[in-house]
Amino acid sequence: MSNFLRAVIDGVLTGSVYALMAAGLTLIFGVMEVINIAQGILVVLGAYLSYVLSVHLGIDLFAGLIITIPVMFVLGVGIQWGLMRRLGEREKVSMSILVTYAVAIILEGVLDLIFGPGYLQLTAWYVNQSIHVFGFYLPYIYVFGFILAVGLLGSLYFILYRTEFGRSLRASQQNKTAARLIGIDVNRVAAITFGIGVAVTAAGGMVFGATTAFNSNSSADLISRLLTIVILGGMGSIGGAMGASVLMLVIEAIVSTYWSPTWATLVFYMVLVLVLVVRPAGLFGQKAVRAQ
Amino acid sequence: MTITDPILSLDGVCAGYGGGDVLQGVSFEVNRGGITCIVGPNGAGKSTLLAAVTGLIKPRVGSIKFNGETISGLSPRAVLSKGVVLVPQNHSLFPDMTVRENVELGAYTIKDRQVVKDRRDKIEEMFPVVRSKAKDKAGSLSGGQQRLVEFARCLMLDPSLVILDEPSMGLDPKTLHVVFQTMRAMNADGRSILLVEQNAKAGLKASSHGVVLENGRVRLLGTGREVLEHPEIATLYLGGSVEAAGGVR
Ligand SMILES: Nc1ncnc2c1ncn2[C@@H]1O[C@H](COP(=O)(O)OP(=O)(O)OP(=O)(O)O)[C@@H](O)[C@H]1O
Ligand SMILES: [Mg+2]
Repeated sequence: MSNFLRAVIDGVLTGSVYALMAAGLTLIFGVMEVINIAQGILVVLGAYLSYVLSVHLGIDLFAGLIITIPVMFVLGVGIQWGLMRRLGEREKVSMSILVTYAVAIILEGVLDLIFGPGYLQLTAWYVNQSIHVFGFYLPYIYVFGFILAVGLLGSLYFILYRTEFGRSLRASQQNKTAARLIGIDVNRVAAITFGIGVAVTAAGGMVFGATTAFNSNSSADLISRLLTIVILGGMGSIGGAMGASVLMLVIEAIVSTYWSPTWATLVFYMVLVLVLVVRPAGLFGQKAVRAQ
Repeated sequence: MTITDPILSLDGVCAGYGGGDVLQGVSFEVNRGGITCIVGPNGAGKSTLLAAVTGLIKPRVGSIKFNGETISGLSPRAVLSKGVVLVPQNHSLFPDMTVRENVELGAYTIKDRQVVKDRRDKIEEMFPVVRSKAKDKAGSLSGGQQRLVEFARCLMLDPSLVILDEPSMGLDPKTLHVVFQTMRAMNADGRSILLVEQNAKAGLKASSHGVVLENGRVRLLGTGREVLEHPEIATLYLGGSVEAAGGVR
């Protein structure tokens, strides 16, 4: 029983961080109908940025987010403004996959050049020390990461549903032409949305890097998982992405505990195939591209 | 036919979507205070013309003037700020937002909350459905109700030129009647109207001026009556099928 409980808690805590990273991906899709394959490497970049700040400048991992989140935001705006905005309406989704895949390969090469192929892990007292709950030890970082993810997801909802920008974002998402006709600058909304979608990878990457050893190759596994989550949640649905993240990571943790970690990854993708066959719109989606 | 004081004038407008011109030198004027109706077959370029006027697409050559001021090439937002609004042909409400949110978004460019609220209150009085369905999701309304909400939303900026792209599409005769009445009420309020109408007979009857567009070119211009009674037009567009579709008096 204790093992089961542990797997569930593990899955929920890690799932929240995946939810944050997937929320960024699905938000970008919802507004622009582009798929950002670079989201995985951007998470890794976020981890490396945190690494540099903590090791070379001695800045605490969480405090460093005050720097890395804006940096990633600007990078996201840059990708949208410099590359994605130029994509034509035709074949937009497939073109966006190609372009962001190119971005991912370039970033991966640069990171490999700078940091080499060796595995790194972020450290801090809350990474090394654990709390004792329900009869097992849990590193503090899992709890802190969970609180961070919930806080940032809450902020995301606040932005979406309680701010003027959020209104223009939802309007652009629901009807682009109508949004332009009431005076919304859809290009600007798209740039900021891409910025926000990428900014969350700074936080996700930090927690990822503190809970997992990573190198520049870690992005392949990450993006596959994030895409799985986004598809399961229903493309464009943030609530769906949150539900799918937690569900998938709990399943993974349980399989890993009772079976083996190798099978856990396999089960992850088996669920994807199964859901796509039975419910192509995703587990929670009635219709794709919704913010709820 | 000359219009002495046009609110909108197009001169040699060529525009398209990147793959060749859809509009091939369109010139005509919209008279101030009147209702001008554009008719023409599917694919003639009517909606494209409206897209060029409202800044959704930029004309390759030619000029579009509003109140004598050039507006061709401006952004949709800039055109909006001059007092030109478009209710497009396809559904243009935000389906997951409430009717009230939709109407308020009509005044997106106005930052003064009090002004927005006052206007909304006034408009809710004009459109009972906007008030009674205020808290409903716009996507849950019937086609006719959605049309009226679109009309309500377009008035939030107190426009001087209202452009309507096939407002009668998909509506039953009764709702269609309401929609045309609303259009006339807007016109009586001093707003000029530019209307695209598939139901040529009903549209031209309700209009002071008519324009026939064909293959991206103006084929005929005149008063609503002149166009309606033009022998060529009568045989081309005003056959029995239009009668059967139920005209609006
Ligand atoms: N977004 C677009 N991209 C590319 N081509 C378009 C687009 N919209 C319309 N067209 C093309 O432009 C031409 C004119 O279309 P338009 O919509 O202006 O016609 P219309 O007169 O409004 O017709 P309808 O009565 O069917 O509404 C058509 O050949 C159409 O295929
Ligand atoms: Mg049309």
